[in-house]
Amino acid sequence: MSKYIILGVVLVGLAAAPLTGDTYLMRMATLACMYAVMAASWNLIGGLTGYPSFGTAAFFGLGAYTSGILATLGVALPVSIAAAGVVAFVVAAIIGFILLRLKGHYFAIATLACVELLREIANSATDLTGGGMGLNIPRNADLGIFAEASLFFFAMWGLLALTAVVCLVVERSKIGFALSCIRQAEGAAEMIGINSTLYKTLAFALSGVFVAMAGGVYASWVHYIEPGDVFDILLTIKPVVMALIGGVGSSVGAIVGAIVYIAAEEVIWRNYLDFSSGIIGLTVVGLVLFLPHGLGSLHLRLRGKAVTP
Amino acid sequence: MTFAFRDFRSVGWSAAVAALVAGTMVSAAQAQAKDVIKFGAPLPLTGALSPEALKAKQGFEIWMEMVNKAGGIKVGDRKMKVEIAFVDYQSNTPKAVQAAEGLITQEKVDFLFSPHGSGAAKAASNVSEKYKVPTVAATASSTQVFDQKPRYLFGTYTPNETLLAPLFPIAKRDLPSLKKVAIYTRNDLFPLALSQAVEQTAKKNGLDIVFNEKYAITALDHSSALSQLKAAAPDWIFVFGYTNDNLMIRKQMIDQRLEAPLITMLTGPSYPEFVEAAGVAGSENITGASWWDAAVRYTSEDVFGSTEGYIKAFKDKFGIVPDYGHASYTVAAVALQLAIEKAGTTDREKVRDALASLDAKTFFGPIKFNEIGQANSYDPPIFQLRDGKTVVLYPEATKQGDLRLGVK
Repeated sequence: MSKYIILGVVLVGLAAAPLTGDTYLMRMATLACMYAVMAASWNLIGGLTGYPSFGTAAFFGLGAYTSGILATLGVALPVSIAAAGVVAFVVAAIIGFILLRLKGHYFAIATLACVELLREIANSATDLTGGGMGLNIPRNADLGIFAEASLFFFAMWGLLALTAVVCLVVERSKIGFALSCIRQAEGAAEMIGINSTLYKTLAFALSGVFVAMAGGVYASWVHYIEPGDVFDILLTIKPVVMALIGGVGSSVGAIVGAIVYIAAEEVIWRNYLDFSSGIIGLTVVGLVLFLPHGLGSLHLRLRGKAVTP
Repeated sequence: MTFAFRDFRSVGWSAAVAALVAGTMVSAAQAQAKDVIKFGAPLPLTGALSPEALKAKQGFEIWMEMVNKAGGIKVGDRKMKVEIAFVDYQSNTPKAVQAAEGLITQEKVDFLFSPHGSGAAKAASNVSEKYKVPTVAATASSTQVFDQKPRYLFGTYTPNETLLAPLFPIAKRDLPSLKKVAIYTRNDLFPLALSQAVEQTAKKNGLDIVFNEKYAITALDHSSALSQLKAAAPDWIFVFGYTNDNLMIRKQMIDQRLEAPLITMLTGPSYPEFVEAAGVAGSENITGASWWDAAVRYTSEDVFGSTEGYIKAFKDKFGIVPDYGHASYTVAAVALQLAIEKAGTTDREKVRDALASLDAKTFFGPIKFNEIGQANSYDPPIFQLRDGKTVVLYPEATKQGDLRLGVK
């Protein structure tokens, strides 16, 4: 039960951000929701299924460009974001069907290559994406500072709520059980009649959908995207680190991890001008070394109990 | 699991408290600053663009020191000291946008400078438009940055087209057989904009484009592209990218014995580092252009008094001759200062209007903005590298020599 309480507290807490009227805090909250979506999505394939995907940035960029291009054609925001999700589901299903035959390091590298591939496509399809010149996304009518910040915050927040519900449903359902079986012993899972190809592909496709939608919201939020920004390798790595902080395998953990990471990053960034990246790196190394099962296992560590995943 | 919840809560609280403490410290620092004009400068102090950021910081610092030494900026009948808040955006554009918003809302800066380069300036300009903060972009030369007619953004670089266009008549005069042009470009906002500008100018001048390719931002091996380029036997080769790209390509050109009457590279040759790494022989007769060179001479109404005055002040403080990387940032600050003095107030809307109608003599050249906010008031110098030194070919007023043909 407690994980539902935590999730509820987190979602309500985040939703309180606009009450402060501080638009910078709202930007941070929007970013936290965005990364929480990505970390929870990664957890579906990386945590639950045990396939270390490094393809998050590929879906983020795909979503950003799909929705961005549609927006320049005059499509409304909700439609363009939904379209980004659909496109990502199809593309992820195709990529997943091919790549999920690989395991471990091989799978990781292949998904990493997908990011590079999509970035190069975005770079060279100049007529469609603007290539290295970037893509301007038309501003929605001048809403005013606060209204605009609220619009994108609630879009991202709503997306997070949706992602959380879907992830929890998957975790509890037959699909989640099948994915756990695949993680523990894929061969054995097949022996007891689990169609591993189907479930793995489904998990991978689901892990792409919400990330792409977050990319879509992001694109209209910043009004300008270029391939280097939305296919940035950091967008792949950060969600993994966040899931590690929260404790791999739990979507609520991943969401909490994302928020803790964004808060810590902001505090460190503000206080250390030249060495912020270094301190964040050291923090992550420290966490992985001393708290390998994430913040969720903190109470066990404190009571000196052995931690089992 | 209740323990987990409590533990999480305490971690969450400490993070929140830490953030709060950091926040109050910042606002306490602001409370005592009343007679100060505060500027915000998001800079890529770490990451791929950090060398540019160091130059930018020095460019700002020399200005800040000189202005404060003179008592500050004259606002109406009083003088206000200057303070610049620097933020590192880690060479990451989304972070630059975040930094811009943070500077406006948290640091409460009065005015803003754009992050480095055209792409980041464009992305961050959406924030300054939203908050209606006058912003000067020091290094945004692509007209695309201004194509949505931003109201609060002003760029001190003239459009890319102006950079190389004057070299075409000179080249045609000195090389009457000039016909075939090759262009090799980094797939990135600024180099692509340069390449488009050259393509148009070349066609306008009746030249043929025999090779026009892009290379990836991360490309290290250019050999196959260069052998194709060589097979096209161009009279004039343009290479666009940043210093490291230019160096890599130049070395691979020499390996392939790729020669041409004219080779123009941007932006590498504008920096002393290029000659240091390519060598005097490797850089001989390469042409380039930039928005400023230490060889230009202007008298000015700014705090430096003239180009010589700027170079001397800079040399006294940092021990080196400034290149255009430094000067671009100094002039961005100078333009804002002159606009504030002209407006006689720090009211953002009035300073914005003063920028829009600015017509000032600076050490960098005369600064005046066109209707979309981009400077169009000076001729960027075109130069050729000879014996490791820059020789200005254009504009006439500061010309130091004639074009020499043949790059080996």
